[in-house]
Amino acid sequence: MLKSEIRERRVTVITKVLFIFVLFFFWEYLPVWTGRDKLFPPLSRVLESLWQNLTTGELLQHIKFSLYLIFSGIGLGIILAFFLTAFCMISKTFARIMDVIVSIMHPLPGIALLPVVMLLVGLGAKAIIIIIIHSILWPLIVNSLAGFRAIPKIQLELGRNIGMSEFRLIWAVMIPNAFPYILSGLKIAWARSWRALVSAEMVFGASGVVGGLGWFIYKTRYFMDIESVFAGLISVIIIGMLVDEFLLKTLENKTVKKWGMSA
Amino acid sequence: MKKTALLLLTLLLGLSLFSCGKSVDKNRVVVAQQFGLGYAPVILMQELNLIEKYYPEAQVEWVRLGSGGAIREGMAGGNIDVGSMGVPPYLIAWAKGYDYKIISALCEMPLGLQTYHENVKTLKDIKPGMKIALPSPGSIQHILLSMAAAKELGNPKALDQNIIAMAHPDGVNALINQVEIDGHFTSPPYIFKELEQDNIHQVVNARDAFGGDFTFLVTAATGQLKKRNPELFNAVYKALEEAIIMLNENPEKTAEYVAPVLNLDRETYMKYITWEGVRFSTNPHGLLTFLDFMNEAGYVDRNTENVKDLLWETLDPAWAD
Repeated sequence: MLKSEIRERRVTVITKVLFIFVLFFFWEYLPVWTGRDKLFPPLSRVLESLWQNLTTGELLQHIKFSLYLIFSGIGLGIILAFFLTAFCMISKTFARIMDVIVSIMHPLPGIALLPVVMLLVGLGAKAIIIIIIHSILWPLIVNSLAGFRAIPKIQLELGRNIGMSEFRLIWAVMIPNAFPYILSGLKIAWARSWRALVSAEMVFGASGVVGGLGWFIYKTRYFMDIESVFAGLISVIIIGMLVDEFLLKTLENKTVKKWGMSA
Repeated sequence: MKKTALLLLTLLLGLSLFSCGKSVDKNRVVVAQQFGLGYAPVILMQELNLIEKYYPEAQVEWVRLGSGGAIREGMAGGNIDVGSMGVPPYLIAWAKGYDYKIISALCEMPLGLQTYHENVKTLKDIKPGMKIALPSPGSIQHILLSMAAAKELGNPKALDQNIIAMAHPDGVNALINQVEIDGHFTSPPYIFKELEQDNIHQVVNARDAFGGDFTFLVTAATGQLKKRNPELFNAVYKALEEAIIMLNENPEKTAEYVAPVLNLDRETYMKYITWEGVRFSTNPHGLLTFLDFMNEAGYVDRNTENVKDLLWETLDPAWAD
């Protein structure tokens, strides 16, 4: 690594840490200075409430339920997206129809669909999982299709010329080539599934037996427990960051970066 | 240098937003408007301009918000001066130390939990996974359900995992059509509609769960309003008092003003307003019982023995409990 690069890195880290420090400082003291600490609790009180909610196990239950909903939604969404994309690759007619469906469904916010979904499957976990699938399916398909369509023809022809089987062609040429697109589709899907989950629970209070983090925030709001509302928000942020940092980044490092497709 | 200046400017802007003082007109009062039979005095106060009657210079601004929670938050933020809500939502705010107290009670009403399941006769028959709809956690319906659960099941939070939040009209539709929910804890006029159906019966009568009569809705006013303009503050009380007297003494006359706002025809309105258990009164009852229970169950953690702590001077504590 070059010296200038090391320096650059150091400055980046210092800037980030400093920014967070300043942010926390203001969060702690600004509410007290302005006398609005009842409406906007200082950081220390939020952390205290976060700790309390964690130790009683209540928050953990909600987090577990949220993750269960999200991963069910994402899992099913990925499987569906995989098959739909595959059909598109096989059949031109299907791809045309899919284009229309995507342009109808993609701009439709999941939350707007909730009343219809609730009429069809009732309240609860099923409805929310369907909303999550809806909010991730279309970006996944759009991105994967874009990825497959962007594969240079010459690579496909080269593969055929050296006698690759169709399966091998898909596995060794098509998927790796399209992977950066698929990965960015996954990133969008992750962010959108969180939004869908939390907003669905907050707008309709549609909860399962336990309820997820959205229900936790909703519930604590009605008890005017602002500290816990913030604790819920922080949990959403932390889980989002953890998955992004560990799961998605690891996937990126193991694939796209390893294959030398992005810096 | 320029960059730093820009940063500072943004920060200042943010700061000023955060602590923006509201310089409001002395004669202005913001009142939250809500719909429901229990809010009849507030509706009457608006339709007959009663605040203006007692304080002619008053500039009354009516705001309509989506939920009682939003009204409370508006009052906490200083954007609303007068708002009405169920007793427990008020007590939750009081326990958090917000600067508002009860200026007048509004009414007592029959509340209850209804179901269409023939085999559900008591709370013991409610199975895990059955859903009970009510307006929101912490609402009077929720706390009354907790009281019933404490009595019948020995644990106030026994049914907390069964509740889902739903607006009254949606809950009525869902219950009558027997979809989505198994039970609905609601208040007039929605409860009347449900009890009129042949296939729906009551599981919990709120009066039994509470152990007596209790006030359903109260109107709270902020200390800010009282400080800003005590005369206007008193005018709000007098307006409510007049509306309540009129509802008691001359319900036929109120029909003309209130029934259209509630979207009821005259006949239905008269039937509802004279229903057994519907009473309008400025004196709140059951506040301390609610507060004790909510402390015991862990929903709030501030208590008082003295009902005066909950009331403005407009109300006589001797007539309240």
